[in-house]
Amino acid sequence: MKHTTLYVVLALAAGLAAGLAAGCRESPSPEEADGPEYAPKRMRILSLAPNVTEILFALGLGSRIVGRSNYCDFPEEAKTIPAVGDTIHLNLEKIVSLEPTVAFVVTKRADVVKTLQSLGIRTVALESDTMNELLKAIETIGHETGRPAPAQTLIDDIQDDLDTVRRRVEGRPRPKVLFAFPMAVGSSNMMVAGRGTFVDELLSVAGGENAFPEAADWPTITPQRVIELAPEVVIVNAVGEDAAPDRVEAIGRAWMNWASIPAVANSRVYILQDEFLTIPGPGVGMAADRLSRVIHRPGPGETDFAEERDRP
Amino acid sequence: MKTRPLTLRRYVLALAGWALLWLAVSAAAVVLGAENIWAWDSWEKTRDVLILRLYTVLTAGVVGASLALAGLALQALLRNPLAEPYVLGVSGGAGLGVILSSLYLTAIAAPVFGFVGALVTVAVVYAVAQRRGRLEPYTLLLTGVIINAFYGAAIMLVTALTSPERRGEIAYWMMGTISTFDPRWSLVAVVGGLALGAAVLFAFLAKGFNLVAVGEDTAGALGVPVERLRLATFVTASLVTGASVALAGPIGFVGLICPHLLRMVLGPDHRRLVPAVACFGASLLVAADLVTRLLEGVGGVAPPVGVLTAMTGGPFFIYLLRTRWRRKTEIR
Amino acid sequence: MAAEDRNPVARDAAPDAAYLAAEDLVFAYAPAAPVLEGLTLSFARRRLACVLGPNGSGKTTLLRILVGLLAPSRGRVRLAGTPLDAYPRGALARRVAYVPQETLAAVGFTALETVLMGRSPHTGALGFESSGDWHAAREALRQTDTERFAERSLEDLSGGERQRVIIARALAQEPDVILLDEPTSFLDIRHQHGIYGLLRRLVAQEGKTVVAVSHDLSLAAAYADRLVLLDEGRVAAAGSPQEVIRPEVLSPVYETAVEVRTDEATGRPYVLPRPP
Repeated sequence: MKHTTLYVVLALAAGLAAGLAAGCRESPSPEEADGPEYAPKRMRILSLAPNVTEILFALGLGSRIVGRSNYCDFPEEAKTIPAVGDTIHLNLEKIVSLEPTVAFVVTKRADVVKTLQSLGIRTVALESDTMNELLKAIETIGHETGRPAPAQTLIDDIQDDLDTVRRRVEGRPRPKVLFAFPMAVGSSNMMVAGRGTFVDELLSVAGGENAFPEAADWPTITPQRVIELAPEVVIVNAVGEDAAPDRVEAIGRAWMNWASIPAVANSRVYILQDEFLTIPGPGVGMAADRLSRVIHRPGPGETDFAEERDRP
Repeated sequence: MKTRPLTLRRYVLALAGWALLWLAVSAAAVVLGAENIWAWDSWEKTRDVLILRLYTVLTAGVVGASLALAGLALQALLRNPLAEPYVLGVSGGAGLGVILSSLYLTAIAAPVFGFVGALVTVAVVYAVAQRRGRLEPYTLLLTGVIINAFYGAAIMLVTALTSPERRGEIAYWMMGTISTFDPRWSLVAVVGGLALGAAVLFAFLAKGFNLVAVGEDTAGALGVPVERLRLATFVTASLVTGASVALAGPIGFVGLICPHLLRMVLGPDHRRLVPAVACFGASLLVAADLVTRLLEGVGGVAPPVGVLTAMTGGPFFIYLLRTRWRRKTEIR
Repeated sequence: MAAEDRNPVARDAAPDAAYLAAEDLVFAYAPAAPVLEGLTLSFARRRLACVLGPNGSGKTTLLRILVGLLAPSRGRVRLAGTPLDAYPRGALARRVAYVPQETLAAVGFTALETVLMGRSPHTGALGFESSGDWHAAREALRQTDTERFAERSLEDLSGGERQRVIIARALAQEPDVILLDEPTSFLDIRHQHGIYGLLRRLVAQEGKTVVAVSHDLSLAAAYADRLVLLDEGRVAAAGSPQEVIRPEVLSPVYETAVEVRTDEATGRPYVLPRPP
C-alpha cells in the first residue's frame, strides 16, 4: 500500500493516546490523593498489618476494611474480610479488584509502599516498634480516616490502662524477666525480647526488668547465654503451632533441665499461649496487665509448667 | 613406609592412642567455650553450662564417629573414594524421612524413618549407578547429585506446604545442629550404641574390605562372602547414618574427609583404618563444634556445625577430585 | 572324530586321578548365549594341567566355576570327591587359590601387603598376622622373585612384576590346588620360563595340583603333564601334550592350519610360529 508508513504511525499514535487516556484515568486526582479531611463515605481501607486491623476495628471502622493481610485474624470478624497476601507476597490483582482508597502498612520497606502507590492507592506507612510509635500510629490512622476523636479516646484509654498497671506494681521489687519465643525444634537457640523493643517496654510497665541487658531487636541467644543471664522469671510465648499441648509439654520439659536458672529453680517459668502479648495494638493494656499478674503473682488461665507438675 | 605386621599388641596400642585423642579433644571442648564460665559466681550456672557442653561433645562424638565409619564403609563397598553419606544423598534421604516423620507422624519414630530413608537411598544409588557390578566414580557422583537434587526438591515441597514457623525450623535443622536446649540423652545413647556396633562390625569386616577393594573375584576366591558383606555393610551404614541424622540433622563431608585424611597417614589397610576413622571422626566433629562455639564469641552467632563442615569439606572435595584420586581411580 | 569321543574323564580308578572334577557343567551368562554346554573333565592330583582353546571357548568361565565364584546352572564340581558347595568358604580358600587375569584396582597396597592378603583364609577374624603368616608371605615373594618389590606400591610396578606378585599371593595361601588364568600373558620370556618352572616345582616337590589356562600352545606343551583343549564350551581333546598338540586336533578347533614339530631334547611337541 502506498501510505503504509502513515497508517502505521497513525495506528501507533492512536494506541499511545488510548493508553495515556486509560493511564490517566487510573492515576488519582489531586483531591483523592491528598485528602485527610476528605474522608469520603466510600472510604475503602486496605490493612496489611494485624495491629492496624485491630486498631481499625477499635475505631469502629471494621466495616470499611475491604482487604487484609493473611495474618490479620483478630477480631473474629476480620476473618471474613478477603485476604491479599503479606508484605512479602502481595496479590496485586486481588488488591486492585478490591478498589481500596487507602492502604495502611507497617513496614520499613520502601518497595512495598511504592508498589501500592503505583496502583493508585494512597499508602500510609506506619511504625509501631515502641509504645510512642504505636500511639502516634493510632493518631495517624484517626487522622487519615477522619476519626480523630475516637482515636484520641483510644489513646487515652490505653494510657489509662498502662497507668493502672504501673500503679499496681509500684514499689514492688522488679525481678529479672526473660521474654522468649520457644526454641525451634532441633535448635538450641531462642528468640528473646531485647531492650528497646515493644515487649521490653511492656515488661517495664508490668513491673519487671528485662533480663537481657542489651539494646537489640529480637536477638537469638544460646542456652549458655540464658544460663548466664539467670532470669528470675521466664515467660515463653507459645502461639500458633507451638500452642499444641505436646509442644507446650516439650518446651516446659526442656526448661526443667537447667536448674541453675532461678526461674526454673523457683518454678517461675510460664508458658503463655496468648497471642495478643506481642501485638502493638489496642490490647496493649491487657497485655501489660497480663504480664504484671504473671510477674508478680501467678494468674489464672496460663500454663505454669512447674505448678502443673506439682498437681496430682 | 615399611609394612609392619598387624599384631594384637599393635592394634590395641593404636586403638588406645586414637581413643586418647578423642578423649583429649572432648575434654578440651567441654572446658573451652565462648563463655568464660570459670569466672562465674555461681557453681550451679557453671555446672549447667558444663552439662550443656558435655551433651554437645557426646553428640558430636557419636555422630562424627558414625558418619566417618559410614563413609569408610561405603567407600570400601562401592570401591570409590568419593562415596560418603552426604554426597550420595543418603543423609538427604535420612533427612527427608526424619522431616516427614516429625511433621506428619511422630517425632519419636523419627530415627526409624531416618534409617528407612537412608536405606532406600543406598539401594537406589547402587541400583542406578552400577554397571555389571562395578560402580564408576563419575556415574556415582552424578547419581548422588541427582538424588540430592531430588531430595532438595522434596524437602522444599514439604516446607512450602507447612506453616511459616515450621519452615524456619526445617531450614535451620537442615544445616546440621548439635546442641539443643532439650538434651535427648537416650537418643545419644542409641546413636552411640549403633556407632559402637558399627565399629565392631566393620573391624571384623575390615579384612574383607581390603580384599573387595582389590577385586570382587579375588575377595570371593579368598573366602570373603561378598554379597553378605555388601548387605551387612549397606544396612549398617544406613542405620548409623539415619540415626545420626535424626539426632543432629544432616551433616556433610565428615564421612568424606576422615577416611581420606587417615588413608594418607595410615595407608589403605582397613584393619588399621576402622578404629582410627571412628575416633578421628568423633574428634573432628567435636573440634568443629568447638570452633563454631568459639566463633560465637567472635561474631555473636554460632554457625551450625554442618555449615562449617560443608565449607571446609567442599574445597577439600574439589582438591581430591583434581589430584590423586583422579589418577588412581582409573580401573583398567 | 567327534569331539565327544575324546572323553577326558580319567579311567584311572585311583581317586587322585579325579582330584578336581567337573561333571556335566552347563553355564550361560545370558540365556541366549551359553558358554559351557555339558562339560565334563577332571584333573589329577599333583599334576600340572593346562587348559587351551580359542578366544571365547569358555576357559575363564570354567576356571571361575572351578574356584567356586560362579555357580553352574547344571552339573557340579568336586574337590577330593566332595562337592564344592559342601566346603565352608574359608576352608575352600585354604585349599584352592585363584590367580585371575590381570586387573588393577588402584588402592595403594604394597606388594608385601598384597601377598599378605593371601594369608587371610588363615588369619583370624580381625585379621592379625602371626610370624608364620609373615614367613609364608616372604617365602612366596622369594619364590616368584619379587622380594625387592616388597615395599613398593602395586601401581608402580610393571604388568609383569604385578602378575608375579599376584601369583605370590596365591602361593602365600599355601593351597592344595592352584588355578591360574593366563599367568604369563604379560611376562617376558625369562619370567615365562620362571613361572612355569615354579609351577612344575610346586607340583613335583610340594605336591600341589596346578591348572593353568594358557594361550601359548608351545609353552603349555613344554611344561604341562596334561592338556585340555576346549572348543565352544566342550572338551575337544584331552591327554598328554603329544596327544593334543597335533595338526589334526588343533586345526579344526582354531580354524587355521598349524604345523607341529617335536623338540628332540625333551620329546615334547611345539607349534611352529608360522603358517604352513
